Amino acid sequence: MIRLNTEDYPWKSGMTVRSLLDEKVFTFRHIIVRVNGEYVPEEEYETQLIQDGDDVIVLHLMAGG
Amino acid sequence: MGAILKEYRYTPAKIVRGYSGKSLYINVSDLRIEEKTITEFMKEKFTGGKGFDLWYLWNAVIPETRWDSPENEIVMSVGPLGGITQYSGTGKTLVASISPLTDIPIDSNAGGYFGPLLKFSGWDAFELQGKAEKEIIIFIDGNNGLIEIKEAEEYPEDSHVLAEQLTREYADDENDMVNVSVVCTGSAAKHGFMGMLNFSFYDPRRQTVRFKQAARGGLGTILCDKKIKALVVKYKGVTPNLNNAADLATINKVGVKYHKEMHDLDSKQNKMRQIGTANTVMIMSQYDLLPTRNFQTGGDPEVVKIAPEVFINEWLTQGLHDGCWYGCTMSCAKCADHFLLTSGPYAGERVTVDGPEYECVAGLGANLGIFDPQAILEENFYCDTYGIDLISFATCTAFIMECRQRGQITQEQMGGLDLRFGNKDAVLELLHLMSRGEGFGRLAGLGIRKLKKIFVEEFGADADLLEDIGMEVKGLEYAEYAHKESLAQQGGFALATKGPQHDEAWLIFMDMVNKQIPTFEDKANALYYFPMFRTWFGLVGLCKLPWNDIVPADNHKTSEPAKVPEHVQNYVDIYNAVTGEDIDKDELILQSERVYQFQRVFSVRMGKGERKDDYAPYRSLGPVSREEYLSRQDLYDKQLSELQGLDPEVIDLDEKIAKLRAYREDQYEQLMDAVYRRRGWTMNGIPTPERLREIGMDLPMLLEVVEPKL
Amino acid sequence: MKILTHKQELCNGCLDCEVACSQTYYKTSDRNYSAIRIIENNKTYRARKCTQCGECINMCTAHAIYRDHNGVVRIDKKKCVGCLGCVGFCSELVMFYADDQEVPFKCIACNVCSKACPTGALEILISQVKER
Repeated sequence: MIRLNTEDYPWKSGMTVRSLLDEKVFTFRHIIVRVNGEYVPEEEYETQLIQDGDDVIVLHLMAGG
Repeated sequence: MGAILKEYRYTPAKIVRGYSGKSLYINVSDLRIEEKTITEFMKEKFTGGKGFDLWYLWNAVIPETRWDSPENEIVMSVGPLGGITQYSGTGKTLVASISPLTDIPIDSNAGGYFGPLLKFSGWDAFELQGKAEKEIIIFIDGNNGLIEIKEAEEYPEDSHVLAEQLTREYADDENDMVNVSVVCTGSAAKHGFMGMLNFSFYDPRRQTVRFKQAARGGLGTILCDKKIKALVVKYKGVTPNLNNAADLATINKVGVKYHKEMHDLDSKQNKMRQIGTANTVMIMSQYDLLPTRNFQTGGDPEVVKIAPEVFINEWLTQGLHDGCWYGCTMSCAKCADHFLLTSGPYAGERVTVDGPEYECVAGLGANLGIFDPQAILEENFYCDTYGIDLISFATCTAFIMECRQRGQITQEQMGGLDLRFGNKDAVLELLHLMSRGEGFGRLAGLGIRKLKKIFVEEFGADADLLEDIGMEVKGLEYAEYAHKESLAQQGGFALATKGPQHDEAWLIFMDMVNKQIPTFEDKANALYYFPMFRTWFGLVGLCKLPWNDIVPADNHKTSEPAKVPEHVQNYVDIYNAVTGEDIDKDELILQSERVYQFQRVFSVRMGKGERKDDYAPYRSLGPVSREEYLSRQDLYDKQLSELQGLDPEVIDLDEKIAKLRAYREDQYEQLMDAVYRRRGWTMNGIPTPERLREIGMDLPMLLEVVEPKL
Repeated sequence: MKILTHKQELCNGCLDCEVACSQTYYKTSDRNYSAIRIIENNKTYRARKCTQCGECINMCTAHAIYRDHNGVVRIDKKKCVGCLGCVGFCSELVMFYADDQEVPFKCIACNVCSKACPTGALEILISQVKER
């Protein structure tokens, strides 16, 4: 189990930032990802592994509309 | 063409630090023209723009005034920053009046050149009162200090023809056409309550007149009722510092920084320069936020047919400047050139379609079940030239279609019109009927609130069902975001002062996806800050889009990225540089709150603006029908078990719907309580005298309204 | 088209070109008013000046930038509204503005700087490069 935006979410072995975004259909381009408080740049989404128990924040930057 | 009825000469006031200090009053009943002085009191309490509009409107009307009373006014003002050229989105005109849909003040804003040219002609604000005997055109010549009123009966009605004709008539030559701007509506505005105002600007590259709209709340209907066919302003000689800013160097510096950001980042962020606001259509569908078939669901597999790439690749001209005022490098006012019309009185003609914007693709597309880009562009064109607010039209038509789907009205009752989801031909036919004021077109423009009554009383429809699925609050139709799963946005819409428009707050991602505002207090704070902050754009004459449709590269490192702190500071810096004042970001919020609370009290004064008026239809809060529940059954079942401790396995579908409803309605009540507290209102939604005192708005005229309600 | 060229190997970084430019158009020796800027990097000198690519023409919000009969990109100062959008949008960073000026300025391949150049590093060429 990981925390995703303050809520529990099931963890899978081999989970990366990219695979998590795909799974959640987080397609909005304008996002900020933090794993355990550390900012993850977009270039590292494929390689950044998510461990069981990690605290992941995916901030969608839109307060517009 | 058209006999001159009145001529008035004036000396155009020089603009000092953003204000000309003068406003223009015209009474079209007796053709009386007066100049008024903008007082220090007005500047201190109301700043400008929408603030000035509401102040003049308050003084013009009484509680019994309705949209078609002669004393009702249309007031417009551009605000102290309006007309600067160095930053993006600086040409907005704010318009206010008593709305035919809501009976309370509506405010709506438009790009286009009218507001800035009006100010350069010497007028910070412009009041129109009374009703003309015959149709008139009002012309303001800012170079020569001349106001001319003339007969207009021979002029065409529809905007794209009328504005083109007037622009040519008043321009000296082709080069002069950019110096003319027209405000007008169209043939449908008089056959319903959702007429809008087109604000023109001339596009020298395309050699055509284009439009932006002050669309919401029936402003075009009011213009028609006053028998004003068009307002024309002409000002030749727009130069970089007509506002006589206190500190142009700072404006230049902030502007260049912003333009550079737009150049470097837009293609990586929202692609506003390629597609404009419609860039989010696919995203909204993927997050279940795109209103589909009257907000029943939040998306559809067919949305790919109306995705941004389709419009970019096949329809919208790329690579030209598309700003609706000088200096806007966001350039989001896209258009489809040489578009061939297939229906209506202009069938066979090739036209330039301004748009589509997000609200258009979402509303006239997905919400009507129409996934056809060509049809959407044709609907867009006819809404614009007929003078119809496409948001109200889309949401209202979606409501009619669902009434049909659920057997509440029949095709016969619609005069044979086959209005069902996906039938683009019927929608276009409805627009043409509205233009001619025939058949079902006479009813469809009345808006959801009035239609609910008619469908129940005359067609025997189910009143409770219609209350649940009619997407309106205070009489105004919802803008196009499905938002059932965001409690904060339910409030963002239904607690908005003028009615459910998203220009006060768009909190869906913060709330539903990011989970940044989990408690009632958090949501209330957001429903305080964002409406206040966003009100400010309307006070000073700015467009909201450049605030957060692009953000600085390091915005993510800031403590509150949703607020885009660097851009807020840009606004503070520009405001100070124009006006010579010294405000900070908190003072900015205070300027807004003064006008925000004033407008709420104004609504109270007109008979709406209490708790009873802030309730949302249940479609906004949760699933009304079985199909809606089943479409997201996993989500709703999970909520029943996690939030309400129920076992969804042992409850039948109708009971599940009822239980969820009871829970969500209670949540909404609690949200109202929290927001009212945060905004300094009583639990009945009335601004308290204490709060008004704190912000310097304890004016006797306001206290007189609120005190009996305490 | 006419274009100002700069031979790095001949440039000695004397900045006579900048002074000639700012003196001619703004009567000042302040380099912030020059449409050519010599940038030093490790004793070699690069010139920032307009390549006449014309990217700014279509983006101009006032329709004030055009290419003249010599192929030189120019600003019609009567039409320019001083939005400075072109300054932010120039990929080469060679559209300039100054604090007390309302409108931007750029190199118009006028020859003033090349005449002032003591080493022959600057030259106006007629280029056959395809215009964008």
